[in-house]
Amino acid sequence: MASSDMKGFFRQKKKLGISKPKSSKRSPKPKHSASCGSHLVQPPALVSHGFFDLQDEYDDKEEVLRQFDMNMAYGPCLGMSRLDRWERANALGLHPPKEVENLLRAGKVNSECLWDGRV
Amino acid sequence: MAAAAAPVEVDSGNGVLQRKQSIYKSMDESFEIQKEMYRGQQYSQIYFARLHLMRTLLYSLLPTWKPHLPICTVLGLEEGKECIIVGTLYKHMKLKPSILDEYSKERSASPLVKPHNFVHSDDYLVLEDESGRVKLRGSLLLPSVYVTGIVVALHGKETGAGDFVVEDILEAGLPHQIELPLNSGEDKYVVFISGLSVGSSSANPLHFQLFVDHITGHLGDEKEQGIAAQIVQVVVAGNSVEFPRGLLNGQNLGSKDQSRLSEPIKELDILLTQIAAGIALDIMPGTSDPANFSLPQQPLHKCLFPGSAAYNTFRSCTNPHSFELDNVRFLGTSGQNIDDLAKYSDAKSKLEFMERTLRWRHLAPTAPNTLGCYPFTDRDPFFIEKCPHVYFVGNQEKYESSLIKGSDGQVVRLICIPRFAETGTAVVLNLRNLECHALSFGTQFSS
Repeated sequence: MASSDMKGFFRQKKKLGISKPKSSKRSPKPKHSASCGSHLVQPPALVSHGFFDLQDEYDDKEEVLRQFDMNMAYGPCLGMSRLDRWERANALGLHPPKEVENLLRAGKVNSECLWDGRV
Repeated sequence: MAAAAAPVEVDSGNGVLQRKQSIYKSMDESFEIQKEMYRGQQYSQIYFARLHLMRTLLYSLLPTWKPHLPICTVLGLEEGKECIIVGTLYKHMKLKPSILDEYSKERSASPLVKPHNFVHSDDYLVLEDESGRVKLRGSLLLPSVYVTGIVVALHGKETGAGDFVVEDILEAGLPHQIELPLNSGEDKYVVFISGLSVGSSSANPLHFQLFVDHITGHLGDEKEQGIAAQIVQVVVAGNSVEFPRGLLNGQNLGSKDQSRLSEPIKELDILLTQIAAGIALDIMPGTSDPANFSLPQQPLHKCLFPGSAAYNTFRSCTNPHSFELDNVRFLGTSGQNIDDLAKYSDAKSKLEFMERTLRWRHLAPTAPNTLGCYPFTDRDPFFIEKCPHVYFVGNQEKYESSLIKGSDGQVVRLICIPRFAETGTAVVLNLRNLECHALSFGTQFSS
């Protein structure tokens, strides 16, 4: 069965059992929004079938980090690791959120930006 | 084990003539490769670093310039509202060669890249920041003067057509300079030479040998030798060798061709050894030297100079090169930055281009647009932090020099070093008073 969402283009992961659309899950509004622009990392068209693509490793922490990636104030995100970009922002006096630094240094999060390997 | 340089010893009857010495301090750290790792980044990173660095600087200058005007981002412009915007200039040039032209179906018979200067009267400037870009109008901002990559502050307002009419412009200006007590102490000379092109058919080896003999004190009488003993530093500013490129056609080289290929660098090493044996010598890479292509060029490897690198007076340096000699600050390049400006803008002389780069506070604004450079992510090493006392550029058509003054009392000696293989001319600078003159060698004898 051809899935009509982005999942078809990327990681092919075998689903155990029948996948049910999780219709009640909405994009959690991040409490500490690090961006001043759009906070849509998941455009509406992709959620039309009721579930997100890239389910794996996508949790609250990743959401915070993606907001950090998308924030224009810290410059382009592609081509740099997230920690390098945070350190650059810090060195330039832009006061990037401490929370992002803590998440990145603690590990267990994706060290590269959301576009890494996709563009 | 490095051999220490011997002072010039000449038995002048009264005693031995000693060469003067100066305290040298290298400032090349920012031009050397530090912890950079290529992770597939594009040039957006270096542009962001440059914009942020210079915008912070310009913001600090705005209160003294036009304190009453509001500052806007490009996207925040409102029609008719007078304000200040800060961003990177982009110059749209009709004649600028584009790689896509090579794939164009309507290829004309004429070759694609020919003109040496791509300026056209239809060129226009655009200002860009993170939020957007806006086309610039107004008679104040002459497109022929500016190039892509400069960060400026503009005072003006948006028109109905969506353009920004410029009423005034603020450049970063000359950076702060540590004042020197000029005209103090003794005469000490620095000799600049560039474009030796050893190995090329146009280079006359006799001229270079004459030069070497003169500065090492092997020529002339005591008076001449006394003058030569006051030379404390030699700077070779790029293009020291010219390899026989005809050999590099993709074929494997036989042993005979291989030795032909390395002849120029061996010849150069022999001559440089004669200099390094007696004087401090800095050598910078240029376009034709065996170094990397993109700026900042890394120092030529010591294995190329088995003879001269044995001396502790021999220093292989980056391009651009920055150093201090007795607290006099030097900054210079082998010419690529100024040559690129000459292709994409107009000026009365090369000295004018040099002055512009100082006033824009950026050594190579056209990098990475039309001048190859490494895609730095967190810094822009071409940003000029401290104002030099001497700013030199190598491989130019002729010797030119001027003294420019900044608004805060900065004084800078600008030097265009001519190509030695073509002109037989080197440049001598007096550290005491920053005065400069040419040193020419000729072998024509009038019949």
